[in-house]
Amino acid sequence: MAGGKELTVITYRGIFQEVEEARGMYSDGYRDQSAVVALDGGDMKEMGIEAGRPVHLETASGDVVVAAKLSEEAHPGVAFMPASPWSAQLLSGEVGEDGFLELKMFTVRASSGEGRVTSIEEIEAVIRAP
Amino acid sequence: MAFCTGCSLLCDDIVVDLDGGKIGKTMNLCRKGHAHYSSIGSGRLTPCVDGSEVGVEDAMMAAAEVLAGADNPLLFGWGASTLEAQRAGVDLAKKLGGAIDDPSSYSQGLITEKIIAGDLPTCTLDDVRNFADVSIYWGDDPSSSHPRHMSRFSYFPRGEKRQRGYEEDREAIVIDVRKSPTAQIAADGFFKITPGGDGAFIEALVASLAGKIPKVEDKKRMLNLGTKLRKAKFGAIFTGQGLAHSLRGDLSGFVSLVGKLNEITRFSVIPTLGDYNTRGFNQTLFDETGHVNSVSFKDGVRHGREFSIARLLDSCDAVMVMGSDPAAALPAAIAKKLERAAMVAVGSHRNMTTDFAKVSVPMAVAGIEAGGSCLRTDGVRVEFDGLVRSDHLSDVDIIKRIMEAV
Amino acid sequence: MISVMEVYQLLPKTNCKRCGLPTCMAFAVALISREKTIEDCTPLLEEAKYEKKLAGLRELLAPILSADATETGMVIHPEKCYGCGNCVVACPVNVASDPKGTAIGRGPVSGKAILMVEDGVVKCVNVDECRRFGPEKVLCNACIATCPSKAIEFI
Repeated sequence: MAGGKELTVITYRGIFQEVEEARGMYSDGYRDQSAVVALDGGDMKEMGIEAGRPVHLETASGDVVVAAKLSEEAHPGVAFMPASPWSAQLLSGEVGEDGFLELKMFTVRASSGEGRVTSIEEIEAVIRAP
Repeated sequence: MAFCTGCSLLCDDIVVDLDGGKIGKTMNLCRKGHAHYSSIGSGRLTPCVDGSEVGVEDAMMAAAEVLAGADNPLLFGWGASTLEAQRAGVDLAKKLGGAIDDPSSYSQGLITEKIIAGDLPTCTLDDVRNFADVSIYWGDDPSSSHPRHMSRFSYFPRGEKRQRGYEEDREAIVIDVRKSPTAQIAADGFFKITPGGDGAFIEALVASLAGKIPKVEDKKRMLNLGTKLRKAKFGAIFTGQGLAHSLRGDLSGFVSLVGKLNEITRFSVIPTLGDYNTRGFNQTLFDETGHVNSVSFKDGVRHGREFSIARLLDSCDAVMVMGSDPAAALPAAIAKKLERAAMVAVGSHRNMTTDFAKVSVPMAVAGIEAGGSCLRTDGVRVEFDGLVRSDHLSDVDIIKRIMEAV
Repeated sequence: MISVMEVYQLLPKTNCKRCGLPTCMAFAVALISREKTIEDCTPLLEEAKYEKKLAGLRELLAPILSADATETGMVIHPEKCYGCGNCVVACPVNVASDPKGTAIGRGPVSGKAILMVEDGVVKCVNVDECRRFGPEKVLCNACIATCPSKAIEFI
């Protein structure tokens, strides 16, 4: 999908994601806690995205569909995403000149998504694909 | 009292009702710890070779075969392993002439290394509870990752010199890019920074400590923070992934700030580490090699980023992952390399890495199903027993059995 | 937290005094502190024109009247709780009665604690010991101010 809005994504870990992870990664609960992106209210309006609706996130490395979440704080141009297999699909994997592997911060193109949230099985299939 | 390996705080005041050998009602476990305890009943890993279920012994023999046939094996993981298994893992890496690494190579390894090497001052969490009047959480959200951090040690409890409770006796400062649950508690002590802005914050704080005007928007607030830190009697800085990643491995500014603080008063650094025994692995490898991660034993002892999982997957010909899930945490391009590698996964539960492994070997959950010892996130050694009977082998038994067979 | 004004807006605002209080505003305060019940306002129950207000008031006050609310008006939202124990360790009643347990950051050992974490979630017992309870009550909010997830409220 061309276009979309450029956002800086920062990953974080939330307790309920870890609780669901302990219960099992192949569950709806883990997906619900992981496959989300917290967006700034103004950014959501600009992109025409409502809370709970699918958002398509794309980088040169990959793309996923996750659910939109409205942040209580204002943070235009920045989005927060749980560190998970979903955010990992968007990371480049390139080691920087300083030898550091970036896992916390990256730039995505975000737009209103079609269909449903990417499943972990779909992510595994993409990784397995030749 | 039972013991929790749900995070690196290793809470040891857990009360568990054992109902016919099964875990019943628990007291004092946090939400995350309770989920960790509950997890022993579901999603467990089964022994498999090439997708077919086999006996555990056969799985261990297949694992040994994969490793023995490799020229450049990588042994990765180890944060969720006992000290005994970590020790055996280092011995296995030496025996194989392979490399050994852990997730600290892409998180807080450098900070931990400086602490172990004595380049950053540290103290125990018990010291923090007894003496600390200022706690700084930097790129760190222990309320979410280590839920009892603030209640057991760093903010709310009474201690020897902190008898009057947090409102009068302690100060919490949170430096983060978002208003995390920890920042929520700190209220007025929250300093919001821009993504990647930690270096600039350090500079401003150093200026403020020196009585110079800091180059930030809210100069007054930064000067007040400087004054607050100067007046601290016993300060503690808790570091998280956020700080480690923002500084991208260049700790010079941070080390210098901590040095300046210690010219004025006492400030210690304690990293908030993820897995329950990350600190144990870093210490074990450091004691053996002088490095906390990314070591190759191929030609003597070599250390460098080229031996970290992010770089080594291009050249290694077999991987053993021990109690970790790099395929879920690392960028898809690296997960793809793992998926294609001759991989052995030892773990307690099914995850993306075990799904991609050629050989999977199930292990007991330490602290619940098996005993052992480990180091808390502040380096304090803790020993523990298993709580329930389990058919699963302990991590150290698995590594030793594989080592015998290679 | 339910505000007095919110409750007041749903009352007849006639200051008829049939509840025994001088004003509807005073009745609103009494409703929140649970000294009076909705049934004490007879016009609201009997007059059809207040039907909507009555329904709104019942909805607004539902948390106060629910079984979840302890006698101190404390409501715990278990789905939000981290089980971190901040409230357990900050609670002045716990600290005073439990110097070797909650006072120093550990689980309660004295048997007198009123807040404790069971199965990963906080629960309140012996509520009559809470400082917000009884005739000498004070508006202590230690368990709310220390919560990372707004899992406790007083209504």
